[in-house]
Amino acid sequence: MRTGLTISAVGHATLLAWAALLASGLFAAKPLDTPPTESMPIDIVSATELSQLRAGKLDAPKAEKPKPLVEKIADAKPQINPAQKVVDKPEIVSSFAPAPTPPPEPKVVEAKRPAEAKAEPKPKVPEKKEADKPDPIAEALKHDEAKSSEPKPDTEPKKVEAKKTETKPETKPEPKKIEAAKPQPKFDATRIAALLDKREAQRQASTGDTISRTPALGTRTGDSPQLSASEIDAFRHKVGTCWNPPAGAPNADRVRVLMTIRLKPDRTLAAPPEVEIAARDASTQAMIDAAVRAIIQCQPYAMFSPQRYDAWKEIPLDFNPVEMFGG
Amino acid sequence: MNNRNSPSSWMLSRRRLLTVAGLSAAGLTVAGVGGGPRRSLAAPRVTITEGNVQPIPIALPDFLGGTPADSELGRNMTQVISADLRRCGLFAPIDPAAFIEKVTNTDAVPNYPNWRAINAQALVVGRLRRQGGDGRLQTEFRLWDVIEGKYLAGQQFVTTPESWRRIAHIIADLIYERLTGDTGYFDTRIVFVDETGPRDRRVKRLAIMDQDGAGVRYLTHGQDLVLTPRFSPSSQELAYMSYGQGDPKVYLLKVETLDREIVGNFPGMSFSPRFSPDNRRVVMSLQQGGNSNIFVMDLQSKATTRLTDTAAIDTAPCYSPAGDRICFESDRGGSQQIYIMPASGGPAERITFGEGSYSTPVWSPRGDFIAFTRIGQGQFAIGVIKPDKSGERIITEGYHNEGPTWAPNGRVLMFFRDPGGNSGPSLYTVDVTGRNEQRVPTPSFASDPAWSPLLTSS
Repeated sequence: MRTGLTISAVGHATLLAWAALLASGLFAAKPLDTPPTESMPIDIVSATELSQLRAGKLDAPKAEKPKPLVEKIADAKPQINPAQKVVDKPEIVSSFAPAPTPPPEPKVVEAKRPAEAKAEPKPKVPEKKEADKPDPIAEALKHDEAKSSEPKPDTEPKKVEAKKTETKPETKPEPKKIEAAKPQPKFDATRIAALLDKREAQRQASTGDTISRTPALGTRTGDSPQLSASEIDAFRHKVGTCWNPPAGAPNADRVRVLMTIRLKPDRTLAAPPEVEIAARDASTQAMIDAAVRAIIQCQPYAMFSPQRYDAWKEIPLDFNPVEMFGG
Repeated sequence: MNNRNSPSSWMLSRRRLLTVAGLSAAGLTVAGVGGGPRRSLAAPRVTITEGNVQPIPIALPDFLGGTPADSELGRNMTQVISADLRRCGLFAPIDPAAFIEKVTNTDAVPNYPNWRAINAQALVVGRLRRQGGDGRLQTEFRLWDVIEGKYLAGQQFVTTPESWRRIAHIIADLIYERLTGDTGYFDTRIVFVDETGPRDRRVKRLAIMDQDGAGVRYLTHGQDLVLTPRFSPSSQELAYMSYGQGDPKVYLLKVETLDREIVGNFPGMSFSPRFSPDNRRVVMSLQQGGNSNIFVMDLQSKATTRLTDTAAIDTAPCYSPAGDRICFESDRGGSQQIYIMPASGGPAERITFGEGSYSTPVWSPRGDFIAFTRIGQGQFAIGVIKPDKSGERIITEGYHNEGPTWAPNGRVLMFFRDPGGNSGPSLYTVDVTGRNEQRVPTPSFASDPAWSPLLTSS
């Protein structure tokens, strides 16, 4: 009887422990944390839209380029508004910060993006600014190129001296209208972690001359402009027509020539192609020579748009004859 | 919701720790793939997979000569080089009439734009000189990459004027090697059976010529029927079979000196022996009764070893370039197919399974393919297959194609084709890809070709 009681007790204890494990959430399904998929820039333009675009309109509003995402000021500003200072600590400047801007501008308050903000770029909607100061976005627009970036999560911490404020979503169609920043910080106990986690914020924030919270297409990791699929296709086709690899050479189906080419804005080579493999035998040397000849012969690469020079000024290439000669 | 501060939660967290540790092995794999270091900031690599394989346009101005006679010789040499490069199918020599610039100094860097303007990718310049005293010919050439604008290769040769044709072939080989990455095959010779006379009374003589058909010499007189000459893969030595009054005899012939040595009488032999890569043994098949078996003979001791002992017909053996395996044809499976076995004998593995019968396998000097003749549906086809049974393809097909032999670089095959009727066989070359079939000029009908190794390397 005593044995039976022990077995029963142990059995029940095991069941209870198992139930407790389940209740603790150990075996609960957890959401799979997947990084956001890299988006591919695609423009769909109908023939009508294209002709209208090219025809133009006299009364059309001024087209502006999308602003790059800038989450904090890159350099230490000479003047800091003490009223907006949250933490009295020296500013931690990112190692990626650009040189300080020449004009000593007043401190620009970083605007927090509303939680409901959409991901699509809204170039005409201005950001929060100080009403009586020069428009920093207008200055940024003069020299900023369109860049891909991801909308920053709401929980992402802010710069040390940046003041957390609430932004009213701008709904008016007038493009230049801006909303004044609220002068006083609003303490929010639920966001205290954001204030404490400064170092991570310094590393992850995009810096620039002017804060711009308008997100553009892309992800946080999308930090370089990329060639579109049609540009890659056109480039690949053109280089393929010039590439005359020596067929039938020993190991010709296994030698892959890796190189990087650098182009000038006029779409010609800025320097000889930089081959990244060693010519260990005559066969490899012949494959390298054929690839280099193709790149030299095929220039200029007219398929690249001059506006997107950053995307194609440096192109890594892989000449892979496996599909041609394999089997 | 969770009572994280309670003792039971603390205990559970320890268990969770253990669980996590237990799962970490599987997790590491995932982390290594998806959660590893951040991807490179560089733009993605653009992969070019499709090229445009076509002959390389090459400019070959006539080699310069100091005297009118040397200029004429230079012109002839350029024509031989140009013909070699054109025949191989990988080069397209540009018509000299299109040249914008006339080369007057072979030491100067060429004016590249003038050559790019005529779409040349490579330029070969050269000159001839006579050495004082003995009158020997000094030939030098330079190969330039016109597109990249750089010097690629160059060499100087001193020889007797009579050897100008060989020098031209050697230069063509060097150009071929530098631009394709493969060893050339122009400085080689072909031994073949020259056939003259009507079909029922053919006179068959052994003959030798350059691979381009020049300089034909006869090695036998035509009294005896000669068959299937086989070159040693490593020396200018030849084995062939001769039918006189009695049994077929196998001879060894040194091509340079025409010294002949009889290997032995072999009743029931239908193909000449083939050499091992080290040139010390020959492998052959001998008919015994209703079947045929494969034997290997040491050329020094003349000792013979049997490699197969079956009731089937095993014949046409050939060594692999490494000398460790032998391919041969056998009907042990019902029809004639190709098999591979170790060079010392042992179990054989069948590698062909197609329709028809497969015969005369020849292992490529590069080792990657075995050429064969396939007979089926009244057609004789020449094809290749990899030793691992993959990649079988027919290269040429017709009424009668037979006797494939490899160029020493393993990328060109020569065979003979007989159109039937009152006509006779001719020699052809074809690329291993099946492209660029070319007829080889011979003085009369020709069959049973055997390609020599490179003269310069032997």
